[in-house]
Amino acid sequence: MKLNIIQQRGLWWGISSGFVLASLVAMAISWQQFGAPLKPGLDFAGGTRLQLTHACVVTDSCTAGLGVAEVRSVLSQQGLDSSSIQILGDEQQGLSIRTRTLDVEERTTLQTALEDAIGPFDPNSTQIDSVGPVIGRQLLVSGLLALLVSFAGIVAYLSLRFKIDYALLAILALAHDVIITAGVFALLGLVLGVEVDSLFIVSLLTVVGFSVNDTVVIYDRVRENLRLNPGMHINDVVDSAVNQTLSRSINTSLTTVLPLVAIVLFGGPTLKYFALALIVGFIAGSYSSIFVASSLFALWRDRSGQAYGTEADAQPETLS
Amino acid sequence: MALTVAAVVVITQLPTRLGLDLRGGSQLTIQVQPTEAIPTITEREMEAVQTVVEGRVNGLGVSEAVVQQLGNNQLLVQLPGVSDPQQAERVLGGTAQLEFRAQRAGTEQQLQIENQILQGHLGELAALQAALPADGAVGSDTQARIDKLQADIAASETAIANLFEPSTLGGEKLTDAIARPTGGTLWEVVIQFNNEGGNEFAEISKAIAGTGRSIGIFLDNRLLSAPTVNVQYAETGITGGSAVISGNFTAESGRDLEIQLRGGALPLPVEVVENRTVGPTLGRDSIQRSLYAGMAGLAVVLVFMAVYYRLPGVLADISLIIYALLTWAAFNLLGVTLTLPGIAGFILSIGMAVDANVLIFERTREDLKSNKTLYRSVESGFFRATSSILDGNVTTLISCLALFYFGAGLVKGFALTLGIGVLISMFTALTCTRTLMFLAISLPQFRKPSLFCPGLNPVCPDPVRP
Repeated sequence: MKLNIIQQRGLWWGISSGFVLASLVAMAISWQQFGAPLKPGLDFAGGTRLQLTHACVVTDSCTAGLGVAEVRSVLSQQGLDSSSIQILGDEQQGLSIRTRTLDVEERTTLQTALEDAIGPFDPNSTQIDSVGPVIGRQLLVSGLLALLVSFAGIVAYLSLRFKIDYALLAILALAHDVIITAGVFALLGLVLGVEVDSLFIVSLLTVVGFSVNDTVVIYDRVRENLRLNPGMHINDVVDSAVNQTLSRSINTSLTTVLPLVAIVLFGGPTLKYFALALIVGFIAGSYSSIFVASSLFALWRDRSGQAYGTEADAQPETLS
Repeated sequence: MALTVAAVVVITQLPTRLGLDLRGGSQLTIQVQPTEAIPTITEREMEAVQTVVEGRVNGLGVSEAVVQQLGNNQLLVQLPGVSDPQQAERVLGGTAQLEFRAQRAGTEQQLQIENQILQGHLGELAALQAALPADGAVGSDTQARIDKLQADIAASETAIANLFEPSTLGGEKLTDAIARPTGGTLWEVVIQFNNEGGNEFAEISKAIAGTGRSIGIFLDNRLLSAPTVNVQYAETGITGGSAVISGNFTAESGRDLEIQLRGGALPLPVEVVENRTVGPTLGRDSIQRSLYAGMAGLAVVLVFMAVYYRLPGVLADISLIIYALLTWAAFNLLGVTLTLPGIAGFILSIGMAVDANVLIFERTREDLKSNKTLYRSVESGFFRATSSILDGNVTTLISCLALFYFGAGLVKGFALTLGIGVLISMFTALTCTRTLMFLAISLPQFRKPSLFCPGLNPVCPDPVRP
């Protein structure tokens, strides 16, 4: 298999721009609906989530599954009409309630009222997540800060090891991956009501780390080829570099995505969407490294009159 | 080799520390609210508030509870295995209640007895908790005994509190508390009231001076100290708004009392702004699921490598297993607390660890294709892949650092495990795989290029190098 990266770059860029555009549209619609580009989860919006399991699961004496209507009426009595309710589990004995932020008194009242109406819950399978609005903002700010700092760190490192033009184009490819991952989750938020939490920001950062890795391997090869073949046109250099690293790019993505698929299949609900975000981001990352970062680099060198290796490129690389 | 053996020893000897989301428990973030009187919260105030909160946490009787400062106005409280998160949250919130109360007449002996009972309970509880196994599994008998003791302790504390008269001399009238040495090895604590407090304190101390009864200093209704007042103050009480509590204070216990008093004097409300509680059953579920996910992920990767890369793939598999063991051992050695995202980071790093091997093997294949000898191909495969491996991993580490520095709680756990994983993976790829490869090609039966790049097998990419 040999890919003609440069020749068909119109096609590759078209695919990328299509996805980026669609992502931006999804985020814009999401902005209209939720006031944020992605549906903010508990971590960022604040609120309380109670996850309870009926005690009959422990004693194996369940008769009928829980009903949303029953729970809803209890919540109305507590003045929590706008809460969302989900029934969980194979036996329909799990209950997940998401409300505004409740303080400890309100929570206790609610839990007691629920127990009165439905029966006792198993204290060992209770999960409580309560996040005040202050903490929510704090988590969001620190997450975004981490994202920006790692972008800056990567630019700095790549300019040091390569050159500034490599670094900036690599960041462009990264932005592409982050936007597409966010877009997919904006879409999931609109369609399935999937929310993003701090783990989503973690996944974006991991995508950044992984995808820059992919780009670096290709740029590393471009740099090496430039040194070995100073007389070759940049388009050919990039083409052969991508093809030489192609099976590595595919295999690495495969070996990384496979364990993630395992998490999606077997992991708990917390990790499911986390792994999914990583899978989307990694695939976007591989694509952008192979097709976008490389061809953009060729275009840039060609247009800026460096179509053939420069003096600096011919310098032997140093390994520190 | 030796490292691997050491790793296995470490894994079996040192317990893996599990986060609250895996073993069950509550994690609370407590925000200290500034008030009009104290608009900014300094280090000194945080220290005092932390002591108050620690006192309350101890009152909950949770073993291995952790209280630590978070930023400049928050405290993070971790309560493993807490069974009633609502109670915990109620107890931890609210402003500290410090009170100076006079002992009721005729209760001298009773106070001593109650105190002895309380100390007995506390001692037994501490002993029980110290003997608990590290994994947090508590037998039902032990748990019942612990619950009973905690109820008894609460009852004793109430009984003691009832031996004292109610008082209006609260912490807000205390302006300062300072521990100081008395000249020898003993320490004393100086307390300072405002005007109103000074007058009230004079009243109270006058009433009990020389009677053998004491002034009870209560923090959150728990007796901190019960000093008596000398007969010489029977006329006027201790006047001037300041007093000295002396007794058997060491530097440490004096300072403890000082901080407790100061914490009680602070009218700073603390509010629980975040509560994350996971029941132990849910935690066990998560562990099992992630274990399956990890195993399945690892298995798929191992099979893929062996099928695609043949002999080198098998060797990479061996070093991958060594990698997993080393990383696990590193977690135990460094005392990394494993959380759910942490496990995800670990599983992910398995996938990434393969990358270095893939880079090397692809290079080796290319060189074999261009008719280099096996030895030289392997050699240059390692050499030329090194810079790619280094650059790629450093950029991942940069992301990890950013996450670790800015992230909170769970996020930190992920960054840490992924970061450790990446570091160790570089090491195992460049040393273990290398050693194994050179060992393999030194054996004649393995010295067949087809084992490395199966002949004209279509799996092997065409040479594109001009």
